[in-house]
Amino acid sequence: MSEPASETIRLTIDGVEVAVPKGTTVLKAAETAGIVVPHYCYHPGIPTRPAQCRMCLVEIEGQPKLQPSCVMTAGDGMNVVTQSEAAREARRSVIEFLLLNHPVDCPICDAAGQCMLQDYAYETGQLESRFQEAKLVLGRDRIADDILYFADRCILCTRCVRFMRDVAGDEALIVAQRGHKAYIDTFPGKDLDNEFRGNIVDVCPVGALVHEDFLFKARAWDMDSAPGVCPGCSNGCNIEIGAKENQVVRIKPRYNAEVNSYWMCDYGRKHLVMANRGARIDLPLIRRNGELEAVHWGEALTWLSERMPEGDGVAVVSPFESTESIAAFRALLARIGISGGGYRLARGDEAQLAGFPKLKLRAERAPNATAAELFGFREVESLPSIAAGATVIVAGDRLDDLPADFAGDAGFFAYLGSHLSEAARNADVILPITTFLEMEGTFINHEGRLQRFRQALVPPGVARPAWMVIRRLLSLLGDGADVLEAEAAFERAATETPGLAGIAWSAIGPKGVLVRTDGAAAPSAR
Amino acid sequence: MPGSVKIVVRPESSASYVRAITKGLGITLKHLLEPNKATQQYPDEKWDLSPRLRGTHRMATHEDGRAKCVGCGLCPTVCPVNCIKLIPAEDENGERYAAVYEIDEFRCIFCGFCQEVCPVEAIHLGVHYENAEYSRERWIYDLERLTELDHPFTALWDPFDPASE
Amino acid sequence: MDPMTGTAFVIATTLKILVFFVLLLVFVALSTYFERKVAGFIQDRSGPNRVGPLGLLQVMADGLKFILKEEVEPGGANKKFFFLAPVLGLVPATVLFAVMPFASPAPTRWGLMEMIVADVPVGFLYVLAIASLGVYGIVMAGWASNSKYSFLGGLRGSAQMVSYEVALGMSLVPVLMLVGNVQMPEIVSAQQNFATGPAAYGAWFFLPLMLTAFVFLVAGLAETGRVPFDLAEAEGELVGGFHTEYSSMKFGMFFLGEYAHLITTAALITVFFLGGWDIPFWQGDNIRVLADGTVIGEPTWWKTLLTFGSFAVKTLILVLFFMWLRWTIPRFRYDQLMDLGWKVFIPIMMVYIMILGLAMYLLDEAGIPVGWQYSGALIVLNLIMMVTLIWGLDRGMIVKGATSRTRRRAGGIRGRMTPTAPSEVD
Repeated sequence: MSEPASETIRLTIDGVEVAVPKGTTVLKAAETAGIVVPHYCYHPGIPTRPAQCRMCLVEIEGQPKLQPSCVMTAGDGMNVVTQSEAAREARRSVIEFLLLNHPVDCPICDAAGQCMLQDYAYETGQLESRFQEAKLVLGRDRIADDILYFADRCILCTRCVRFMRDVAGDEALIVAQRGHKAYIDTFPGKDLDNEFRGNIVDVCPVGALVHEDFLFKARAWDMDSAPGVCPGCSNGCNIEIGAKENQVVRIKPRYNAEVNSYWMCDYGRKHLVMANRGARIDLPLIRRNGELEAVHWGEALTWLSERMPEGDGVAVVSPFESTESIAAFRALLARIGISGGGYRLARGDEAQLAGFPKLKLRAERAPNATAAELFGFREVESLPSIAAGATVIVAGDRLDDLPADFAGDAGFFAYLGSHLSEAARNADVILPITTFLEMEGTFINHEGRLQRFRQALVPPGVARPAWMVIRRLLSLLGDGADVLEAEAAFERAATETPGLAGIAWSAIGPKGVLVRTDGAAAPSAR
Repeated sequence: MPGSVKIVVRPESSASYVRAITKGLGITLKHLLEPNKATQQYPDEKWDLSPRLRGTHRMATHEDGRAKCVGCGLCPTVCPVNCIKLIPAEDENGERYAAVYEIDEFRCIFCGFCQEVCPVEAIHLGVHYENAEYSRERWIYDLERLTELDHPFTALWDPFDPASE
Repeated sequence: MDPMTGTAFVIATTLKILVFFVLLLVFVALSTYFERKVAGFIQDRSGPNRVGPLGLLQVMADGLKFILKEEVEPGGANKKFFFLAPVLGLVPATVLFAVMPFASPAPTRWGLMEMIVADVPVGFLYVLAIASLGVYGIVMAGWASNSKYSFLGGLRGSAQMVSYEVALGMSLVPVLMLVGNVQMPEIVSAQQNFATGPAAYGAWFFLPLMLTAFVFLVAGLAETGRVPFDLAEAEGELVGGFHTEYSSMKFGMFFLGEYAHLITTAALITVFFLGGWDIPFWQGDNIRVLADGTVIGEPTWWKTLLTFGSFAVKTLILVLFFMWLRWTIPRFRYDQLMDLGWKVFIPIMMVYIMILGLAMYLLDEAGIPVGWQYSGALIVLNLIMMVTLIWGLDRGMIVKGATSRTRRRAGGIRGRMTPTAPSEVD
């Protein structure tokens, strides 16, 4: 223990002695002891703390009244009791009060199972209501284009109002009316159209705010979740991917103090829910007698390895591919003698979250352009026209904006992709690869932060990660062994570029690691 | 003695085959001469079924014929054999409803958990067991079929009010 | 009145064949219904009752089903024998009826008509010969089906039939000793009470030959292959035994064969031991035709019908008895079955034949004429022997229980396994 004694205070919470830095609130101090004090209005990402929900009241020895632990600064030698009779009774009363007009429509509420009101009401065990009068019915409102507000369920913790004001810096929401008629509304004459408005759904402790994309889609317990990295832009926000029956149904930001804190932008959310769309390639296809024919992997790869032309050609990689896949692609190009290679990058407007400077919807709308640069690919505005008889290899790029006769007279055209566009149909061989949702791997964001993501969905058909396909092809061409795991793929990639040298797979923690990008031009710098 | 085997010997001196056969013949003769009609003429006569018999599902409806189901997803969650398929959606009034609701009666074990868990008393088991179909697909009852059935609902046992649900 | 001759005899015989064959098949069909009703009642059920009144048309429905069902022939089956086996299962049982006397002779305009299809001089030797053909159906079915279950069933069936054939034949020897003739009408006559003509014993043979009747009953039951002697079928262990692979009307023929066998066996017991068509305690039916054509008694049509009724009732009571037995007793174990045949019935019959011969010699020496005293003496002798046998059976000395072998073996392994004394068990 090397913490400076002058800045550390000691206090007892529920009989557990904890040592915390001076200035810590009692609620935070309790968290270090593993004690969760129930709370609604307090959110760690929102700086203002009105202490208005009165849920976090705790008993502190020597103080005549219960104190709100979210704003109460811990003092040296304090004896805090969170489970005292008085504190429990206070919470009980708060819950009873909140439930007076609550419709208790948990069966149709999308927050059921992840609802703090449900949890605490269950904990305090109030099965019967003493409220005899008719409940107030406020109805629901479309508070933004894609967000619904169920006023009856709202407990008026004002997290959403304060997020917009204090974090997004856009005072779009207010509490309208007073007392039991109070509800959340947009400021008169103002629309809730902020790029970060989706976060108010995440901060809502109950089911009052629901994103339309998720409305009635899945129950909380139906979803499988996997930690991922948002591929929407080069910021690399950490996300939690909720999937039901192999479909992405919900995206939630995942806390990473170095990248996105508790937030993410709406562009990323929309972008990912779109990931379910489009017809996928699920079998390897090879061109025989002018027709594409479905074959199994062994046949396709053997066929390809026997016909792979040597010499220069055109290579295109997608900045949506994982670092391991880009590395493998570079190794393949080196093996067959193609130098250079390019990638296409879409650009859009930027948007900055005022309350957290590192979180910004970046102009580069792809997650891994940095890795492409690191492995020697250069951004191109558009693909060069393909000369007759040329060799063309495309990895990942969907080619869906290209004319149907793209590379029609190429000498050899290999396509590794997840979706079959008109242009891709001209290929001599089409290999099905997974999207980032269906594989494990890494992305390198705009500042060179290497972050891992996990597999969230089952790939369609026999689609395999691009690195696995390419490494297998390389081994058929007599270059190295098969790679069957993401860890091995990464370690192989790390030996092939100085930027990743010395980084172990296991060392990539929840915050990611910074890699050396000095060998490559960072795309955001240009 | 360790490992010894105890051999149970039927005393032969008292084993009487003739007596045993005679006795057996006597018993069967008794039944032959006064046949005890335990048989029920099933399709003609039917059992008095218990109101708590758990049989074919039925969906309760509102007066206008809409299913009461709100698509909460508790029945597929609680179902121990995963025989309920539910896809909820939003109807024209913005209410949650079951766009797809299918019960595989073939897979169902008739435990009655779905009825017990239903917050709006929509899905019920019924006092009905005569199911026969020509194909397996027909055993998957969709919402339309579940609402059209009209046999009585199964009564749940309530320790405080044994007479009603 | 003289017996029929010439054309009249041919026409009469053809008519008898037609009438009695059809009658037999009808009885066979009805007995399947009868059995199911008996089984139903014994098991507190109703039996067939949905097809027609009281379910009587069930027989028709069954027949229709047999005919309409798909015929399945197992791969690798021997087609010829596979087809022949069910025929051989049914034919011997029906052909046996040719020598069965059903009723007293009937007077017609063209002469006295004996109520027997063929009064062959070889008599019951024909019965033994044809009855032993029945096993061919089972053996052939078992072998031709190319199935292990069928094969095992066929093996068991042949062993069982061969074993009990011996006991069956030996149990007819005492009958031959008393009657002195193998012709079936003579056997019936010998059980009646005649004042004139060749000697008659005045008692149905199940009394003076009680033990023989018992052995014939059991051996005959074994010949039909019904519970408790259905080891060739043994659905518990052999699926369906010899007829596992049979379907449709081929199975139907085995099925009919079993019931035809049942009725035939019952009829044989009736003829040999229950006085055939004799009506008890009535001398009016004492009608016989001697070898030289002399007719004793007064044959009339109504007597013929009455005696046929007597024969039918006796036979049906026996059929009922067999059915009753079937739904009461479980199947024999295979070794018990063999023990009973070879180690019990055959020695018993050998000893019995000698004792009977001795008794007859002594009775003849004593000058007692054939008649009720002669029969009475034999009845007393048989009662004594029967009681001795039952006493032996009843003590488990003849048919051993399952544990007897274990005990024998246990004692043999030099005390390593010490059997517990019966008093310590229970």
